Amino acid sequence: MASRGFASTYRVALLAGAMLLCFAGVGVKLVRLHIIDRDLYLAAVEKSRQQSTTMHARRGDILDARGDILATSRSMIELGVDPQTLRPEDEPKWPELARLLGLPVNQLRRVFQTRTRAPAAGAAGREIRWAKLRDEIPESLYEEVNKLGIRGVYGQRVYRRVYPHSQLAAHIVGFVNKEGVAASGVEAYLDNYLMGYDGWRESEKDGLRRELAQFRSRDVPPKDGWSVVLSLDTAVQNWAEEELAAIAREFQPRHATLIVSDAPSGFLLAMANHPTFNLNEFNKAPMELLKNNAIASQLDPGSTFKIVAASGALNERLVAPDTRFDCSADLATHNGRSLRLMRDDHASDHPLTVAEIISRSSNRGATLLAMRLGDQRFYDYARAFGFGGRTGFPFGGEISGLLNPPAKWSGIDITRIPAGYSISATPLQIHCAMAAIASGGELLRPQIVREIRDASGAVVFHYGRESIRRVLSPAVAGQMAFMLQGVASRGGTAAVAEIPGYQVAGKTGTAQKIIDGRYSNKNHVGSFTGFLPAGNPRVVITIIVDDGRAPAGGAGYGSKVAAPGFRRLAEKLIPYLDIKPVAVAGAWQALAAHGDPRP
Amino acid sequence: MKKTNTNAFVSQMLVYSLLLIGLAGAGGMTAVWQRQAIAATAGRIKQLEQQAAETDRRQAGVTAAVAAEQTLDALNRRNQHWMLGLAQVRENQIVRVDGQPERRLAAKRNAEILAGRAAPPPALDRNTSRPAAPPAPPQARYALGGAR
Repeated sequence: MASRGFASTYRVALLAGAMLLCFAGVGVKLVRLHIIDRDLYLAAVEKSRQQSTTMHARRGDILDARGDILATSRSMIELGVDPQTLRPEDEPKWPELARLLGLPVNQLRRVFQTRTRAPAAGAAGREIRWAKLRDEIPESLYEEVNKLGIRGVYGQRVYRRVYPHSQLAAHIVGFVNKEGVAASGVEAYLDNYLMGYDGWRESEKDGLRRELAQFRSRDVPPKDGWSVVLSLDTAVQNWAEEELAAIAREFQPRHATLIVSDAPSGFLLAMANHPTFNLNEFNKAPMELLKNNAIASQLDPGSTFKIVAASGALNERLVAPDTRFDCSADLATHNGRSLRLMRDDHASDHPLTVAEIISRSSNRGATLLAMRLGDQRFYDYARAFGFGGRTGFPFGGEISGLLNPPAKWSGIDITRIPAGYSISATPLQIHCAMAAIASGGELLRPQIVREIRDASGAVVFHYGRESIRRVLSPAVAGQMAFMLQGVASRGGTAAVAEIPGYQVAGKTGTAQKIIDGRYSNKNHVGSFTGFLPAGNPRVVITIIVDDGRAPAGGAGYGSKVAAPGFRRLAEKLIPYLDIKPVAVAGAWQALAAHGDPRP
Repeated sequence: MKKTNTNAFVSQMLVYSLLLIGLAGAGGMTAVWQRQAIAATAGRIKQLEQQAAETDRRQAGVTAAVAAEQTLDALNRRNQHWMLGLAQVRENQIVRVDGQPERRLAAKRNAEILAGRAAPPPALDRNTSRPAAPPAPPQARYALGGAR
């Protein structure tokens, strides 16, 4: 029997057994991987391959009435670095990167070389995978950064809010803070419409963390935000802010507010405050500047409030424009009590007509009108004009002012309130009261939003004129309009507001401020509120100057600090808004002579 | 005879097996091609989406830049810098016409024809927007400086 050498039966069997064992081992491992530990490994694989991506929606724009952009969103890059992936060979490029970013090289180097966060007590330091280099850089700069090819330096795209007009209408537009939260103004009020909805996508990624688009399982596209069209006009708003700046330079007030509205509809064309702030640098503005004083501050309206007593008495047919009152007496009897009346700035040598009470701004005359009207009816008219309640301005923390019911009045309040004291109102309330006369006797809701448009530009909502209530009959509103012309005419308290060829109706106001618990002779709130043309009102303008000081050290009367600004602004608005003069030659003289409401 | 049948069966089996393998291979190849096509299409869609997003981003940037250049401050700066001398229209530069502009233009044209040269439109009262006075006939057609 010949020897078979190495290939003996025993060795073959041993080799076959070893191979069988190997296969068995592989089999056992496969069983362990695919059956016993299947769920564990599958979960780990899916976890590492699955990715969920958020797709950010673009926030809608805020536009003015002409389509000018007041707020928009633009793509910016938040640039950062992963210090763990930096390569030594890229280090020569660091100075160039620092130059592009406008950072000191040492600062950049410090960020790049800090690879772990300072450890907490007893714990190891954590690796830094993202350190911010610049908050916001434009796409063009990001392209230049990418050209450097520094591994580990990359950006995250975010939409950031920009306000092209900077400080224009800052209190109306509002702002979105760095966290993307709408904080004030229209931005906050209409955030639900503006913000849109982020989309998201579930898919898988490869080993280089690139998305494998073919494995997308869910894909919800983002919905861009809707745009909001305001009734504001940037040109009018700009002139209003220029006028306030001029008033601030000349009279150095604590605050000043200017409101312009469309008389027939009540929509606001401008609402400006001084001081104001830059929307693009809202984080640098002190908190007190963020407050919209037009709706969130209150002051004594002063003589602008006299329209309430006069209108009420006319509307109740208790007086006619030519009814005369003796305003020379110091005392008047009311409800069986003798009350001392406020002094008038200008002594009257004859009994004043209602029209003269308005044009000369007689405190005593206004008081006598209110007394004739009676406490409750006078209060009801004040409420009907919108005092003591919110106007319905939709955002900005509007306050209601202060107007007590007659039951809470002190004995002398009936001599003070008709002249605009012992009552507080916001600038917008004063404006709306005058606008009620301009609109023909209806109190209109002051509105700011004209339209809401979807991302394709189609109009989704359109807002129209909204009447709150009728305060006066149209005839009485017309009588008041013509009587208020006397204020802005020769012999009136605001002759400086007169515009040749146009009929300006308005009312000055000067209220002493309470300083240390007493009415001050030096600190005043001067105001002028009016409209034009009186016969066919188009715009209502209100200027309130808080604690303005005349250059020669004089008091900040409304006729000095506010009325000239009214005229300057109105002269700009006349050609811009195509306000035509109304031919009513001799209307005022006819009214004075015959007491007719209109010629 | 029996052997021949067996051979034929084996041959048929081989043919069918080969056919089956071929079909299975073709099906497999088709599936692979389909998956590859799906991957390629998905990748192309992804690229297009990225391009659209990039376009949106650039459009947003351009919109913001245009808006910044159209602010009143910027326009005023340009006006001064380029010395354009543009200014807001003042009321005293405006002549308001509340009648029919066609009749006014016709009257102006007739006046031009009759005078043989351009004549100024009738002056309007600023308050009433009506002719302040009937236009006076030209005194001297060829006077130096034109008819007054």
